Amino acid sequence: MLAFRIAMTVKSERRSKIKVGLAQIDSRLADLEHNLGHHLEWIANARAEGVELLLFPELSLTGYRLLHLTPRVALNPSQSPIIAALREAAPEMAVVVGCVEEDELGALYNSALLLAGGEITHVHRKLYLPTYGIFQEGRFFSEGRRLGMAKLFGNPFGVLICEDFWHSDPAERLARQGAKLIGVISASPGRVGPGPMPPSQEAWESLTRASALLNTSWVVYCGRVGWEEGTFYTGGSHIVRPGGELLARAPYLEEQLLTAEIDLREVDRLRWRLPILADERSDIEGPE
Amino acid sequence: MIRKEDVAQRLLLHAPLAVAALADFLRDGVENAGASGLVLGLSGGVDSALAAALATRALGTERVHAYYLPYKSSDPRSAIDAAAVAANFGLALRTIDITPQIDAYFDAHEPDADRVRRGNKMARERMTVLYDQSRRHGALVLGTSNKSEILLGYTTVFGDNASALNPIGDLYKQQVWQLARHLGVPEQVASKRPSADLWPGQLSENELGFDYPTADEVLYLLFDQGLSGEEVIDRGYPAPVVEKIVRLERNNRYKRRLMLLARLSSSAINLDREMPRD
Repeated sequence: MLAFRIAMTVKSERRSKIKVGLAQIDSRLADLEHNLGHHLEWIANARAEGVELLLFPELSLTGYRLLHLTPRVALNPSQSPIIAALREAAPEMAVVVGCVEEDELGALYNSALLLAGGEITHVHRKLYLPTYGIFQEGRFFSEGRRLGMAKLFGNPFGVLICEDFWHSDPAERLARQGAKLIGVISASPGRVGPGPMPPSQEAWESLTRASALLNTSWVVYCGRVGWEEGTFYTGGSHIVRPGGELLARAPYLEEQLLTAEIDLREVDRLRWRLPILADERSDIEGPE
Repeated sequence: MIRKEDVAQRLLLHAPLAVAALADFLRDGVENAGASGLVLGLSGGVDSALAAALATRALGTERVHAYYLPYKSSDPRSAIDAAAVAANFGLALRTIDITPQIDAYFDAHEPDADRVRRGNKMARERMTVLYDQSRRHGALVLGTSNKSEILLGYTTVFGDNASALNPIGDLYKQQVWQLARHLGVPEQVASKRPSADLWPGQLSENELGFDYPTADEVLYLLFDQGLSGEEVIDRGYPAPVVEKIVRLERNNRYKRRLMLLARLSSSAINLDREMPRD
C-alpha cells in the first residue's frame, strides 16, 4: 500500500518547484548488469541531494555505439528485471533512463523511459535517427512515430533524445501543448577545437538556449562522458532558464551529478511578458 | 569559403582539453582491455615524445614502459633525445639494439636489399620487440603515428603504424607540435626536423618533397573539408605539392584498413558483423 500511496503522491500533486539532477555518467558498452549497478549508485547519490527529477543520458543502460550488439541488449521495459530494479529503487523520484527497447513485434527503438512511483509512466522512442557521419542509428533502430507528453508531478513534461532536438519541431510542439520543461538526453560525440568549450557543446548550447528562448521553457540537457571505440562524449550537461540564460553546467569529460532547483512558475512569468508561444499562427500561407 | 590564411588557425587545439581527453582515452583503453599499462618505443622524435607524455599523464610513470630500439646506423642524437624525453617524463628507458637480427636476415638472405627495404624491416623489427615486451608486461602497445603520416602513407605497414591504442592518430603534425610543447616535451625534440631515422641523414620533408605545415593544411582541406585538389590549388597552394598529396592519400588508403577479408557468407567479420571492440 505504501508504494501505491507514493505513486498517488507523485502523480497527483502538482507543484512548480522541482529539484532536477542530471547524472552525467559513463556507461559500459553492452553491459546491462554493470550499468544497472552504476545507475543505482547514482540514484542513491541523487536521493542524498534531494533530487526529484533525475535524468540519465541517452542509451544510459547499454552504452551508445552498439552496432550489431544492439539486439543483444534490447529489453521489453514492462517485463525487464533491470527496469523493475530501477523502478523500485526510486519510487519517490522521477527518473529518465535510456535503453534499447524491443516492442511486441520485435522492432528496436532508442528509447527514454520515465520511471515514477514504481511505474513506467512514459516511453519516448527517438524520432530522428542520425545516419550520417559517424552515426549509424537508422541501420539498427526503428524510428519512433509518436511524440507524447509525459507528466512530472502533475505538470506536462517533454522528453526528447539527442537528434530529436536538432529539429525544432518536437520541442516546439511540446511547448505548445503545455510543456514548461523539456528534458533532452544525449550521447553526443565530442570534438576539440581552439576554444575551451568543445565545438560540439557550442552547438548544443546554441540549440538549448535558443529553444529555451523560442519555446519560453526550461530546457535541461543531460549528456554523457567516457570513450567508446575511439570516440569520446563531452559531458557539459546543463540547465537553461526560460528565456535562454544558462543556469548551471557540469564540467567536460568527468562524471558529475549536476543539480539545481527549477521553478516552473518562471515559465508563466516569462510567457506573460513574452507571449510568443501564444502568438504562434498556423494560418500563414506561402511561400508557394 | 575557407581561405588559405584561415587554415592554420583552424588547426589550433585547446591544449588542456585535448590532453585531458586523450589521457582519458588511454586510461579507458587500458582498463577496458584489462591491461597493466602501456609499452612504447621512444625514437627521439616528437610523436613518440607526445605519446609518452600523454601516457604518463594517464597512468603515471610506473605503468609506462619505454624502449629505445636503435640500429647501428641510427643517428647518435636520437639516443640522446630519447633519453631526454624519458628523463623529462620520469620514465625508465631500456635500450635494445636491433642490429643483430636485422643484419642476420639481410647478410644471410638479401645482401643486395636497398635502404627502403632495410628501413621497413627495422620498423617491423621494432614493433615485434614492442609486442613481445607488451606480452611480458601484460601491457598494450601505444601507437605513435600521427594523422599527417597516416594519410600520406608515410608509415611501414605492421611496423610503426601498428598499435593497440593510438592517442595521436587524429592529430596533424602541427597539432602534435602544439600539444608536445604544451606538455613540456624538451625543446630539442619539439623543434627538431622530422625524421624516420632509418638511414643516416634521412629527413621526412626531403623524402616527401614538401614541408609538414603545408602538408597539414592541404590534407585538412582535402580530407577534413572534402575539397578537391583543384579547389585546394585555387586557394594558393603549389599545384605539384597538392597533386602529390592527393596521389599519396589515395594510394595509401590500404594502410589504414588493414584487415581485408574476402566475403563469402552474409556474416563476414567487420563487413556484416560490426562488433565494437570495447
